[in-house]
Amino acid sequence: MIQFTRTILDNGLTVICNNDKSTPFVSVNILYKVGSRNEQPEKTGFAHLFEHLMFGGSQNIPDYDRHVQAAGGDSNAYTTNDLTNYYITIPAANIETALWLESDRMAALAFSQHSLDVQRQVVIEEFKQRYLNNPYGDLWLKLRPLAYKVHPYRWATIGISPEHIERARLEDVEAFFHRYYAPDNAIIAISGNIEENRALELVIKWFGDIPPSHASPVIIPQEPVQTEERRLVSEGNAVPADAIYKVFHMGCRNSDNFYACDIISDILSDGQSARLYVNLIKNSRLFSGIDAYITGDIDPGLFIFSGKLSEGADIHQAEAAIDSEIEKFIRNAITERELQKVINKTEARISYSEINYQNKACNLAFFEFLGDINLIHSECSRYNNISVREIKKTAEEIFRRENSSTLYYLKQS
Amino acid sequence: MIQRDTAPALTPLFEPNLLPYQQFTLDNGVTVAYIHDPSQEVFKIDAVFEAGIYYQPRPLVASTAINMLNEGTTRHTAEEIADLFDFYGAYTDFNCGFNKSELSLISLTKYAAQTIGMLAELLLDSIVPENELDIFLTNKRQEFLVNREKTSYMARKKFSEVFFGSSHPYSNIVRDSDFLNVTPEEVRDFYRRHINARNCRIMICGNVNREVLQTVSGQFGQLPVPPSPVTDPTRPFSPEQTGRYHVTKSNAMQTSIRIGKSGVRLLEEDYAGYMLLNTILGGYFGSRLMSNIREEKGYTYGINSFNVSMPQGSYWCIAADVNNEYADSTVEETFKEIERLKQQAVGNEEMNLVKNFLHGELLRELDGVFSQSDALKHKLNYSTDNRIYIDLIHRIKRCTADELLRLANKYWNTEEMYIVTAGK
Repeated sequence: MIQFTRTILDNGLTVICNNDKSTPFVSVNILYKVGSRNEQPEKTGFAHLFEHLMFGGSQNIPDYDRHVQAAGGDSNAYTTNDLTNYYITIPAANIETALWLESDRMAALAFSQHSLDVQRQVVIEEFKQRYLNNPYGDLWLKLRPLAYKVHPYRWATIGISPEHIERARLEDVEAFFHRYYAPDNAIIAISGNIEENRALELVIKWFGDIPPSHASPVIIPQEPVQTEERRLVSEGNAVPADAIYKVFHMGCRNSDNFYACDIISDILSDGQSARLYVNLIKNSRLFSGIDAYITGDIDPGLFIFSGKLSEGADIHQAEAAIDSEIEKFIRNAITERELQKVINKTEARISYSEINYQNKACNLAFFEFLGDINLIHSECSRYNNISVREIKKTAEEIFRRENSSTLYYLKQS
Repeated sequence: MIQRDTAPALTPLFEPNLLPYQQFTLDNGVTVAYIHDPSQEVFKIDAVFEAGIYYQPRPLVASTAINMLNEGTTRHTAEEIADLFDFYGAYTDFNCGFNKSELSLISLTKYAAQTIGMLAELLLDSIVPENELDIFLTNKRQEFLVNREKTSYMARKKFSEVFFGSSHPYSNIVRDSDFLNVTPEEVRDFYRRHINARNCRIMICGNVNREVLQTVSGQFGQLPVPPSPVTDPTRPFSPEQTGRYHVTKSNAMQTSIRIGKSGVRLLEEDYAGYMLLNTILGGYFGSRLMSNIREEKGYTYGINSFNVSMPQGSYWCIAADVNNEYADSTVEETFKEIERLKQQAVGNEEMNLVKNFLHGELLRELDGVFSQSDALKHKLNYSTDNRIYIDLIHRIKRCTADELLRLANKYWNTEEMYIVTAGK
């Protein structure tokens, strides 16, 4: 079990510290509670673009990276639909360098037109590299707006199109910073070779005087219940094989529904002994690859079936095979062994995730963001407490036609 | 008030604390090295064989043999094998490299007997069932067809082809038709020849308790010893003319660039200095290439350079995916940066910065028992161990600007370089 301390500073910053003596390093992980779900529909991709700008210099430090590197550290960041996470791994003795850098850019980012101009181009190249110049890369750009009509999850973190990124202005950058980049909208988690008290002391020293934003709570437009089946056929893609994606709305990360859905996806497709692999790749050979997984978003997410068809396989037949696996899941019994397998796998997965202090820092910040850091201790039991009846009931509830969106992603004929 | 305009004082970086490892040899000649950490609940085991693409008679044979290991043994079907690993929450990973192939298992120590037992069974009793082989090759071919659409794949393969020579096994040129030509017999033959006690090394780390060691000794001690030592001929590279090569993909949104030549091997005298030189050019986020081509001009999401040391040689390469419009400018700017390192001494500030960064990188490679084991596994291939890190750190610290000038001029003769682009 992970031991940690949790403190909320007067300015609203949540500080979590975990001492891990197995490493000479520390990981300083700062999570800002802002992601692409906080964007306006006409200015998408902004949270991620902003993440790039956070490396462009702050009031007292024009060259963030140089100081990280000189201290023997390494840093990076990522943006999701829900959050933006920055992390530095640095020799424990140099932790103050990390805190100095992070606190200065939280206190006052430098707003530079040059940095904005360049990073817009860099992000547009990232857009091309990952989504446009990559087979199947734009699939999610088509699928999201099919599955979501209202919620900002209808666009990807990279944004709706490169034009949105071109549109970003310096005043948008400033407004975004003042709204979201403040101690009362952030969580700092530290794990590594430093005593918890000492870590807290240093966080107070560097972050204690940064004023909170007192911004009003974020209201995200929620997705209404879907009442009709949705289908989309995307033709003429430059790919060698057809793909099918079938997605269903499910519950949010911090709900029992999430744990039930995760178990369902494990039974269906976690490992080469799982049902989809054995039945649809090995036996019927309709697919060259198939997967069932869940998004795990903060707001209600998606349960996804994704498959690439074998050469010559008919896409309607492939879809019928997925439907039939769903049908069987609902009707037939789950075996004892399947259930025990999920329990063992979950236990192992949690053990593996606690090996590395960087993972720990990241997970601690994430569970705090989820609303209750002690959830990190109850993960295992939350999985184990889901009964077979509940698994079945959940499957029946979510795997309904009118709750589904299906995308046929077809190759050039 | 806190002084934000002054950087906190830096503490000099430390020397790595090398974890002790134990080594022993089984009767059949298999060597076992391990690092035990009783505080872990988990162990990782890597079985390393002399079974890389270098030894394959035809394309795909080596990687197919390695990946078919868990597709059926004399006692268990593919599904039963997968079910056992899945049931115990264990993960396996099979990787076919240039010369070595590695089979890895990570598992909870309390299930060591079951999971190691199955891993050993795969190595001892694999049968390569024809139906499974057919499924494997069909699905791999699909993957290949997807990769073939990527400019980054095209550029990478073209670079291998011209650098190693199309007939050298390292270039590993795969064609669509190769997937139809692999036969079960040649896969089984490769398996028998290369998955055995000859040159086999086992690396274990994490919670390596007595039961783990006993299971490993009992199981891997059964690997057969090949009747007579096999000698593999050394196959020299047969490179193409250096210069510019282009692969056309008319609908590409970006151009992938590879620029490279031979590099420096781990045990060569210049290795540490070359690491430093390469890092300055393109080996970290603040490198000259990143600063110029990404951070100043915005031509690319990323550009980097790296050096790969192999038993038979080495190569060094710069890689980037760039805006089509700026492909030529990127190549031009890259050569400007190389030229600058050949003509102007690196300043003190940059030198110290990169030395510290690299020192930090090397410490991170040794951070924790699992990383140290990975590092050691690799170093044992060169008959050395992690003590080499201490030597590298010292050499990097001592390296001077003059030395870097000498190395840049020695290794970066532009006439010896291949420039490969794939795109419009």
